[in-house]
Amino acid sequence: MEVLPQLIVNGLLLGGAFALISIGLTLVFGIVRVVNFAHGELFMAGLFGAWLLSSKVGLTPYLAAVPLVVILFAAGAAMQRFIIQPLMDADPHIQIFATVGVGTALINLALILFGADIRTSELPWAREPVRFAGLSVARGFLVAFAVSMVATAALVLFLKRTHLGRAIRAVAQNRNAAPLMGIDVPRIYIITFGIGSACVGLAAAVLSPLFPAFPTVGTYFALTAFVIVVLGGMGSLEGAVAGALIIGLVDSLAGYYVAPDLKEVVYFLIFLLILVLKPAGLFGVRGSE
Amino acid sequence: MRPLSIAGLAALALLFALPYWIIPLIADAGFWQHVFVTIFVYAAMATAWNIVGGFAGQLSLGHTIFYGIGAYAAVLLNQHFGIIPWFGMLAGAAVSAAAGVLVSWPCLRLRGPFYTLSTIAFLEVVRLLAIHFKDFTGGSAGIPVPMFATTATGMEQRIGWAWMLFRERENTVLIAFGLLVLCIAVATLIRRSRFGYALLAVREREDAAEAVGVNTTRVKLAAVAVSAALTSLVGSFHGIYLNFIEPETMFSLATAIQLAMFALIGGLGTVAGPVAGTLLVVPIAEAARGWLGATANGLHGLVYGLVLVGIVLTMPQGIVGALKPRFALWAGPAHRPPPAAPARDEARARPPIGEPILEARNLTRRFGGLVATNDVSLTLREGEVLGIIGPNGAGKTTLFNLLSGFLPPNEGSVRVRDASGQWVTPDAPHGFADAGVGRTFQIVQPFAGLSVRENIMLGAFHHARSRAEAEAEAERVAALCGLGHLLDLEARSLTVGGAKRLEVARALAMRPRILLLDEVMAGLNPSDVALAVELVRTIRDSGVSIIAIEHVMAAIMAISDRIVVINSGRMIAEGSPEAIAKDRTVIEAYLGEEYVAASA
Repeated sequence: MEVLPQLIVNGLLLGGAFALISIGLTLVFGIVRVVNFAHGELFMAGLFGAWLLSSKVGLTPYLAAVPLVVILFAAGAAMQRFIIQPLMDADPHIQIFATVGVGTALINLALILFGADIRTSELPWAREPVRFAGLSVARGFLVAFAVSMVATAALVLFLKRTHLGRAIRAVAQNRNAAPLMGIDVPRIYIITFGIGSACVGLAAAVLSPLFPAFPTVGTYFALTAFVIVVLGGMGSLEGAVAGALIIGLVDSLAGYYVAPDLKEVVYFLIFLLILVLKPAGLFGVRGSE
Repeated sequence: MRPLSIAGLAALALLFALPYWIIPLIADAGFWQHVFVTIFVYAAMATAWNIVGGFAGQLSLGHTIFYGIGAYAAVLLNQHFGIIPWFGMLAGAAVSAAAGVLVSWPCLRLRGPFYTLSTIAFLEVVRLLAIHFKDFTGGSAGIPVPMFATTATGMEQRIGWAWMLFRERENTVLIAFGLLVLCIAVATLIRRSRFGYALLAVREREDAAEAVGVNTTRVKLAAVAVSAALTSLVGSFHGIYLNFIEPETMFSLATAIQLAMFALIGGLGTVAGPVAGTLLVVPIAEAARGWLGATANGLHGLVYGLVLVGIVLTMPQGIVGALKPRFALWAGPAHRPPPAAPARDEARARPPIGEPILEARNLTRRFGGLVATNDVSLTLREGEVLGIIGPNGAGKTTLFNLLSGFLPPNEGSVRVRDASGQWVTPDAPHGFADAGVGRTFQIVQPFAGLSVRENIMLGAFHHARSRAEAEAEAERVAALCGLGHLLDLEARSLTVGGAKRLEVARALAMRPRILLLDEVMAGLNPSDVALAVELVRTIRDSGVSIIAIEHVMAAIMAISDRIVVINSGRMIAEGSPEAIAKDRTVIEAYLGEEYVAASA
């Protein structure tokens, strides 16, 4: 029986998939300091986009990443510009309500447009297993894992090395001092929110052959992403990746050793423990609680 | 009774008359009565939610935990033990209140989105557990509400008032309305009570709430317990009304979001808001659904989401919040004009300095490697004014935080002689407040969204038992502090001088026996400083012992009986103002050695 190694591999690959969704959420929180409760619904919109592009236009789901990244960047930027930006100085509760409102509207819009049915982007190749050393993994998960790691590395490099990236980090450090250095803070917020959403667009394209689209699919992924981001420390990209891998492992192991329908209970309990004991998370950034 | 309350009662009466008497005369009663039951149920739960989410400002998106517990308690007790739902309802409410306290206790120190996330996580855990333990809950298949049961005497029909199940809808309208009235009554009582003001204080600024003697943890937990119990009562009724319960609908995140949404749309923290919000949004959504037909599945949710975003962007105080100023105008002035400032009793002589009333022994406080307070001991005597001076960064405010319980010392202790003459060592800020210690904050901490009157009332509620008493005290203290003409102003719009005076007024309204003043004169112009000096003397003459931190040298020299000098966390000198002014080490600490050498 080679159960444990297989479970570990499954868990890590699933974690890779989660990571791609979580880095967008943590980036937006770290810079704009808004928890986007509509993050999962943007992912849901991305999955439906991938399904439309593959089934109606005939684009391979992976290629749908290009238009989806662009579209979701625009959607995220618009959300920041027209909904969050006017509320930047409002009570945090008001910002939560605003993003919750967007999420609720998106779920129900999808319900009206597509109904409650499950829509799968067809790509049989992605579900075929690759076997090595007695282990078996779906190709799609390998692709998702690889894309996730490359995308995170690219994002980290972008933030560390480019002028725009430095400006974004400067805003995160001190939003009052940044404008004195000539940084257009509202523009940085719009770009950041756009990038955070674009990550979700990429994730949706890459994961669409593995996860079907339906209106409430985002809730599950968003809640998981919240757990991951809090675990890794709100605002930390590296933390989000580490958190995603941990939660992927927990998901896989708890699903086998505890009970399939209780695996989420296990990671929500971890989430609550972290919130109570170490609210800054494992790789937390200053003042994020 | 105020005109607004009468208007509110009339609106409620109409709300009940419509489905119960009026609509049955003209239209298909069944459908409309169902709509009204739905409205009443949601309005009642939104009102209950508002006690935690609006009054106390703790945004819970997991409130359907209590709705579900209520429903499951009523249905399961009925099914397994033949207990009537009225008892099941009470059992559910008790369990919900306990569960609310249990799950909130570890999470309440989380702020903003983190508290919200924890409530969502708890809701998910409960829902998944309800699905998992199917032997007990029926699992995701759900359980129907039993209409018949086999007993020793044969088949028993479980319909009628005892079982809360009816063939006629009128009775359900009656019960749903009764629950709504209950929730509104409880919310109204809380909003107007000392407890309600404590919740507002917690929402606006927790530190300042502790300083006026509010045990913030306890009032938050009390709010959660009340809110959970009410939500659970409604859940019990609704579960029976729906005839069928399942985890997905009972522990639904979407429903939890709707409750919060209705309250926000109507106006967070107002009594009428949640009802108004539900009344506005539910009919729009139902009408849209009826108008576009059943094909438009999800349309009502879309309406909810769009209305929510629209309200948040255009009037974040909600409908009631936005309309209130106009209504208030129309209904006439809500408050009687403040009385003229009382004449100061000039003649009263200063009481003599008495026995020690506060003692600090060997206080040490470290932050990492920095020793902010280093082995400081001091004693304050009854009726004395003790000045604390020292250069910036000397550790004066840290010392104050130790003296008022906002920071625990690493070593040493503080003890206070309370009103009964006992020495006590409290361990939290509200404990110090209870022992008679009032304080102000160097960086002013007004309850920004409340009026000047309400700010001072929050201090007065430390001893006042009724709202009228607190209001009278607020007016008296405001006049004393020169805020009498600003009572109805929102605290955030005060000038620096006004905000400093409000700090003093709020602390004074607590009727402290010991008052800690942290730089109440900094940033004031010379004439305001003179007023402040006069005010401190008046407070002293009324028998309050005072410790004051101050940078305005002339002022501190004028008011203090004794001065303690702090530098780099240590006490470097202590003595009368005259002695301190000539002390070489003090001059060195302030002006540097060169100055001493040059002037020698």
